[in-house]
Amino acid sequence: MYPIVLLSVLGIVVLYLGFLKSKSILLPATLLFLVVAMIGNFFEWNDGELLYFKGMFAVNKLTLTFNAIVLFSAFMIVAMTQGFQDNEEAQPAEYFALMLFSLVGAFMMIGFENLIMLFLGVEILSVAMYVLTGSDKRNLRSNEAALKYFLMGAFATGIMLFGIALLYGASGSFSLNGIESFVTLNQRSPSYLLYAGLLLVLIGMLFKVSAAPFHFWTPDVYDGAPSIFTAFMATIVKTAGFAALFRLLSHSFSGIYDFWWPTLSILTVLTLLVGNIIAVYQDSFKRMLAYSSISHAGYLLIALTSMTKQTENAILFYSMAYSFATICAFGVLIPVAREKSLEGRPNESYEAFNGLAKNNPLLAFVLTVSMLSLAGIPLTAGFWGKFFVFSSAVERELVWMIIVAVLMSAVGIYYYFRVIMAAYMKEGDTATIRIAPFYKIVLIAATLLTILFGLAPGLFEAAM
Amino acid sequence: MLTDFGILLLFILAGLGLLGLILGIGRLLRPDRPNPEKNATYESGEEPVGNANVQFNVRFYVVALLFVLFEIELIFLFPWAVVFGNEDLIQQTDGRWGWFALAEMTVFVGMLILGLAYAWVKGYLDWVRPKPAIPATESPVPAALYEAINKKYESKTVNKT
Amino acid sequence: MSLFLLVLIPLLPLIGFVINGIGFRHIPKGAVGVIGSLAALGSFAASVAVLLAFKEAGSQPQIVSLFDWITVGELSIPFSFQHDQLSLLMLMIITGVGSLIHIYSIGYMKHDEGFGKFFAFLNLFLFFMLLLVMGSNYVIMFIGWEGVGLCSYLLIGFWNKNTSYNNAARKAFIMNRIGDLGFLLGIFTIIATFGSVEYTEVFRQATGLPIGDPVLITITLLLFVGAMGKSAQIPLYTWLPDAMAGPTPVSALIHAATMVTAGIYMVIRSNVLYTLAPETLEVVAIVGAATAIFAASIGLLQNDIKKVLAYSTVSQLGYMFLGLGVMAYSASMFHVITHAFFKALLFLGAGSVIHAMSDEQDIRKMGGLRKKLPITFITFFIATWAISGLPPFSGFFSKDEILAHAFEHNKLLWAVGLVGSAMTSFYMFRLLFLTFFGTFRGTHEQEHHLHESPASMTIPLMVLAVFSALGGVIGIPEALGGSHQLAEFMSPLFDNSRQANPEAFMPISLSHSEEYMLMGVSVLVALLSGIAAYVMYISKASVPAPESETRQGVQRAVYHKYYVDELYDAVFVKPMRTLSNLLASFGEFFIDLFVDGTGRLVKALANLGRQTQTGSTGYYIFAMVVGIMVILFWNLLIK
Repeated sequence: MYPIVLLSVLGIVVLYLGFLKSKSILLPATLLFLVVAMIGNFFEWNDGELLYFKGMFAVNKLTLTFNAIVLFSAFMIVAMTQGFQDNEEAQPAEYFALMLFSLVGAFMMIGFENLIMLFLGVEILSVAMYVLTGSDKRNLRSNEAALKYFLMGAFATGIMLFGIALLYGASGSFSLNGIESFVTLNQRSPSYLLYAGLLLVLIGMLFKVSAAPFHFWTPDVYDGAPSIFTAFMATIVKTAGFAALFRLLSHSFSGIYDFWWPTLSILTVLTLLVGNIIAVYQDSFKRMLAYSSISHAGYLLIALTSMTKQTENAILFYSMAYSFATICAFGVLIPVAREKSLEGRPNESYEAFNGLAKNNPLLAFVLTVSMLSLAGIPLTAGFWGKFFVFSSAVERELVWMIIVAVLMSAVGIYYYFRVIMAAYMKEGDTATIRIAPFYKIVLIAATLLTILFGLAPGLFEAAM
Repeated sequence: MLTDFGILLLFILAGLGLLGLILGIGRLLRPDRPNPEKNATYESGEEPVGNANVQFNVRFYVVALLFVLFEIELIFLFPWAVVFGNEDLIQQTDGRWGWFALAEMTVFVGMLILGLAYAWVKGYLDWVRPKPAIPATESPVPAALYEAINKKYESKTVNKT
Repeated sequence: MSLFLLVLIPLLPLIGFVINGIGFRHIPKGAVGVIGSLAALGSFAASVAVLLAFKEAGSQPQIVSLFDWITVGELSIPFSFQHDQLSLLMLMIITGVGSLIHIYSIGYMKHDEGFGKFFAFLNLFLFFMLLLVMGSNYVIMFIGWEGVGLCSYLLIGFWNKNTSYNNAARKAFIMNRIGDLGFLLGIFTIIATFGSVEYTEVFRQATGLPIGDPVLITITLLLFVGAMGKSAQIPLYTWLPDAMAGPTPVSALIHAATMVTAGIYMVIRSNVLYTLAPETLEVVAIVGAATAIFAASIGLLQNDIKKVLAYSTVSQLGYMFLGLGVMAYSASMFHVITHAFFKALLFLGAGSVIHAMSDEQDIRKMGGLRKKLPITFITFFIATWAISGLPPFSGFFSKDEILAHAFEHNKLLWAVGLVGSAMTSFYMFRLLFLTFFGTFRGTHEQEHHLHESPASMTIPLMVLAVFSALGGVIGIPEALGGSHQLAEFMSPLFDNSRQANPEAFMPISLSHSEEYMLMGVSVLVALLSGIAAYVMYISKASVPAPESETRQGVQRAVYHKYYVDELYDAVFVKPMRTLSNLLASFGEFFIDLFVDGTGRLVKALANLGRQTQTGSTGYYIFAMVVGIMVILFWNLLIK
């Protein structure tokens, strides 16, 4: 609860700090505010289950942990926004404020107890993201991406809203508890209104987490948006989206698991196939990361589809591992692409990484660890993420799904290792890239955490 | 006693009556000089018939956005006034209920004011007139010479066609 | 407080590794050595403190759980440390000898380019080794086990410019992999059988099983395969002599004192399982005895100073397994301790000699070094005396105890051990005499350079010499008026075993006179072979023939290490190559069809999939609408 209030107010403060002559205070101030929000988040750590706004918003260990992952990711991403102040055109205060506001949306998606709250959260998050996607005003591709994202996002929102309306029509309630009791009462006699509503809400949410066949916006938008906001989208939006999906499905609709799991399982397999296979053909590292984000949505959906006792932990761990690795990947991409820029545009292709290791061992190492983690190689956090996801699927005996997933992770190794090969094996000359110390610390910290959780996945649970 | 639907019926009747009354008075008072412009349907100053694919000035959107914002505020204020202006509750709580409701709304309105102030300071409310830059080229040849040549060949081209 | 200290033990070397590993290009050489050694010394100090606290608290084993490490369904593996008599003893050896070797390395590796890298690896090794002995379950042990294997691989190939060194490193890695596979299968069997990997839980459940239960035999045999790999027993021993390619301090620390004894640690740790599987114990004893005599016989004719010591290590490890096989667990541990002292000392002494000889390792080119290297000579002499099992130095007590148990168990094993002991004494004195006595046989330049090593190298030698000489006092048998403190200290470890199989733990039934007789025989045998070596290499001053000379019969076979390497090459490596060549040529087609084909299929699919990404929003939304329609129709109408 505290982070929502804090960030709403502090976001406005950041907005007004933008009126100051010196822009250099914005970054430290934003980071400080994120830390404040993090502290606020842990204030309610030991309070058990709390409800706010007449039962519309919940706070418990699960939501607080998701909040912490989101906040931590946001902190790292904000710390990487070093180039903002140099750009004359940019409005750093507005970007920072929008990021903080979008976090508020994420918290609402994580903690909703009422579908209205979910809708509000999704919109707060999405509207901010539409703007941030188009924030590179002079770049046509950024503009195009923003418009595409907005149009399709609005479409998906409409679908979801329709679903919510149908759910209300069926159960007479917006609250998760109300719907749950309706579901348990009517388990025998199916209500098509409820089913249609559930499907539409699911479709709306699946759009947000870019699951196939609602993934089409992802590559174009990820590619067009400035890298830093792509990182934001790939980590925070995804984590919040899966948190919302998990709460929705595990809470209200666990009673009709038999109805929704076949659909979800087919979409899962489709997502895995689309994400992993198309990624193979990409020449741009950034676009590859977009497809990789689709494929990871697929892995997370496996956990959701199996919906066992392990799912909660699997989703938490997976989104954390995925977020850290993705942030590292973007953290390396941004300076490298800037260094290798062609005609004033950052060069985001694989070739930009050729021979990176020679003069930039740290960047190459960070990149390697993050790719290994994304590919799910042992001794990285990504491995345990996949392991937990698969073991939850084993418990449900969804073996065919695991077979597809394992095959697809083998495909994944191909495109993840391509950039490692480029960095270490290929010839190329990259001058030593200067990186701000704080940026470096963030990269190292995220890498160490990836390795640490890879060596001792239990630490994560112990921390919870 | 009237039922609720009775009240509704009365409401409709009164509305119609009022409408007729106002239009009737207008009819009596105004001068009657119609022209095609005046007879066209009112559409916020835009052409009501024709291709919808025309470019609007982008500034309309900013104004429209701000308008929507404050309209929503107003829509929100009415039910708030009705629900929270509950006399019983105010008396029961010794007036604190009223203060509470007022504070809540102050926060809401305050946030909107902050937004408005931000937009104002940033200059989003200023209706900046477009300043088309007329390209100025300096040429050693005097403009009169071009005119003469144009004139000279104008008749020839016309003849050919 | 205790928890803090306990965590500090493995943490300090890890910190040392991180500092030296990240900053080895920037930290000055002096600081690197100091950081590395301080990490080891600090760890040693913490170990001592923990040991004292442990004794004060009444010697109760304790498990300190740090956090839940891996939880998969029912199986939960905590990350926890167990400190009891066994792990504390190992801690003392690892950190104590480890610290000395770190200090020694400051002098030995001074001129090496990779000084910082070397210390980083040494510290990393210490960390994994400590993890191995401190963990409270088999999985942590396995992580340490793999980690020390990795460090050993890195350090054997430390001078990686040399191809044969790299090959040696690879050989070590592959042989260890075979062993590790056994270990891993053993762990899986344990999980399948007991549903836990925690020592306490496994052993508690195991005591309920009958003696000779097939599952237990399977588990113990699989674990023993792991031990064979790590502790270089027949048939997986050939990597250890090759591992001498690494820097000498590495040979001393990893391939003599600590890592190679991990197999013995594992068996002692699992003593309950082994006690309940007598058949496995027979195998262990036979393999141990065979290794002891086999390796010792190869050592007789080796001319490389480090190779002799390597075969001697293999042979001594064989003794330890012989001890384990006859259920003399504490005697084996005793030998692990004394062996750590004198073998580390021998290696460090050899290092000192090599250092002085400008990297010459062939003992045929040495001789008469005792005057030039007095400290090295004296310490080396003490160590030789100790390893030969001559009283009153430490080796005598430990080896004698093992042999006494062997005698009681099976006379044949004892005889084999005795012969091995004679050989040990012979090759060690041969080494000593050829190196330090007689006249110098090297080049003039080498003679000119001869010098005693710096203090950072000689002080560890002296400390180790004191321990090699006096280390035996912790285990003086009753027959000699002692009380065998070590056995008493360790006895709680075997409570479960004793309970499960009380007959096997009867006290030695030998009378004192019999014991005296046994001691007398072994001392006599060792002395005689020492004298034989004296006669051959000092009185007759004979020098082993150079490489080029052809040797006859048995001598030839022994000189060429019984052609085991060649045998492995012919039986395993060559057929593997042929098979892989065959598969490769056949596989041209095969790979094309499947691997490449799959790759192409994926690429073709990717290309197809790529086409769906047209970039047109209208198309995207159309696709989404189709998706939504299909989902709704399928769910609401068809299903």
